Amino acid sequence: MRAGSAPLNLVRGRIALAAIFCAFAFALICARLIDVALFGNAVAATSGHDRAIALRADLVDRNGVLIARDLPVRDLYARPAQLPDMAAHDLAAAIGSDEARLARAFASGRGYVAVKRALTPAEQDAAMQLGLPGLTFEDSYRRYYPGGSAVAHAIGQVDIDGHGVSGLELGLDRLLSNAGGPIQLSLDMRIQYALAREVAEGQATFGAKAAGGIVMNVHTGEVLALVSLPNYEPDQRSPISPDAMRNRMTQDVYELGSIFKIFSFAEAVDEHSIRLDETFNVGKPLQMGRYAIEDSHKLGPILTAARVFSESSNIGTAQIAMRAGPDRQRAFLKRMGLLKPAKTELPESAAPLTPSHWKDVETATISFGHGISVSPLSFAAAAAAVVNGGTRITPTFLRHDKPQAGERVISEKTSAAMRGLMRLVVTEGTGRNADVPGYDIGGKTGTAEKAQGHGYAHKSLISSFCGVFPIEAPQYLVFVMLDEPKGTKDTSGFATAGYTSAPVAGRVIARIAPLLGMPRNDAVAAAEGQRESTKEP
Amino acid sequence: MMRTLNFAFILVTGLVCLGLYRIAEEARVASADLAVTERAITRERSTMAVLGAEWARATQPARIAALAERHLALADRPSIELSSLALLPHKNRPLADEPVRTAKAIVPMPAQAGLKVVAFRTGM
Repeated sequence: MRAGSAPLNLVRGRIALAAIFCAFAFALICARLIDVALFGNAVAATSGHDRAIALRADLVDRNGVLIARDLPVRDLYARPAQLPDMAAHDLAAAIGSDEARLARAFASGRGYVAVKRALTPAEQDAAMQLGLPGLTFEDSYRRYYPGGSAVAHAIGQVDIDGHGVSGLELGLDRLLSNAGGPIQLSLDMRIQYALAREVAEGQATFGAKAAGGIVMNVHTGEVLALVSLPNYEPDQRSPISPDAMRNRMTQDVYELGSIFKIFSFAEAVDEHSIRLDETFNVGKPLQMGRYAIEDSHKLGPILTAARVFSESSNIGTAQIAMRAGPDRQRAFLKRMGLLKPAKTELPESAAPLTPSHWKDVETATISFGHGISVSPLSFAAAAAAVVNGGTRITPTFLRHDKPQAGERVISEKTSAAMRGLMRLVVTEGTGRNADVPGYDIGGKTGTAEKAQGHGYAHKSLISSFCGVFPIEAPQYLVFVMLDEPKGTKDTSGFATAGYTSAPVAGRVIARIAPLLGMPRNDAVAAAEGQRESTKEP
Repeated sequence: MMRTLNFAFILVTGLVCLGLYRIAEEARVASADLAVTERAITRERSTMAVLGAEWARATQPARIAALAERHLALADRPSIELSSLALLPHKNRPLADEPVRTAKAIVPMPAQAGLKVVAFRTGM
């Protein structure tokens, strides 16, 4: 029994050994299968696939219309050592490059030089036809802007490596590089076009040096359109002038003139320092030390506070502002966000210019928009807070459908009173030319003389209009600005805001209100018709 | 007996190896096919991206307006929204004392060359 069990044990041991060997072999095979199935396939899937996927996310407007996209292109490179002598001349002629630049690059001694980026198919064919040795095409990407010049300043540009250098391309650079899908902006290309067209026509009609406009939702803070003229074509390859590159709505600050009275009155009404039926003597200039404050046209001599606003009296507004004094005025403007640069996704945001000594004279001049310079976007955000019920908003270029829950800056009652005053400006005041039949628009005109040396240039004006509609329950704010408009025969030579910016803003509202789903209000149209008929002799 | 078993095991192992090799080879071929298909998808996606960008450029409001003015003799005028869905009464809610809104508009029409007035009154 014992003698027979030893070989049996030996055989069992060998079988166990063989089983272990087989199990190990199968384990190895299984491991390899898992490796091939999971990781080998993944490597194959990524090769060549992601190369053609856009490196930077698309930018689309609030309705999904494409504004910016990376598109595959081919760049042409050369190894100068392999090129014949006349290569620079032939290449320049074939693909439209600068021959001198190519000749310098080929003679620089570098082993590999870029000849031209983002070749068109015709240029690629022309380069291929040359049959030159040492030329290499490389796949690459280039950012294209189908939105064109209308949206150039808001969107900005990228550099040659696809990194944002200005506008939202820079402000949203990280988001654009990491986002899985397109980024939806607050801009509406239909509104953008309407604003760009009307502002451009206004600029041409009045021969203005520059112009701009903003359309903003007063509850959500969304900027639906932003235009700055002159502008540029973002896809153009030639150098763009610094003047055209500047976004005047955010990068520049202006003394905006009487449009600032919105804040002077909002402060006075909110702090109960005036009643709107209270009267003010505006018959003679207001003497402030060695300065005399005057109105641009003869008013009064006695005006109610409401008329001071609607007829835009500097003398009356200065008297109202003096009741609060410098400290309270500064605190109020700070609360409105006007003493800091506007915080948005746009990196270009100019800091306001405020007086170093904020005394009585400055209080008086600031009340009608002189002595303080703010960017139009800062102004629009603060004006939106005045009319939206009194809560502060932060302008944004990203789509946000919900109203912002901002800090309360004025009471709802003050906001309603200001809406009434702004309606009065359009129905009976300086902003009559902004009226659009069937739409209850409110607004305020602003005409400021431009600072020149130690004084002001009487003929160089900044004309602006801030319109809000529908004024009973405001949804949108339209701001239009013209830089140095000239009077025309139709305006009897007047270049003030009531004759220049206000009608432009009115035309913008007439165009965009239907696009924003706002039907004509028959009651408003009937009231306007009645008002017009009572005016007739 | 054991020798037969060992032989059978080796045979089975060999067959399994062959089978696995075949599967691996099929997987490699399928993987190559997949890569080709994915490259084709990538090309199509690139083409779609280019076409999408071209479409966005072609349908720019500024371009459409310029073409319409040049070829269709259409004036660039603001549209008029006469009403909106929000203003329509609900189906099951009777009109109380609300005024009935009617849609009407007078749209200025540019003078058209070649048209002449043939009658001042109609319906007689």
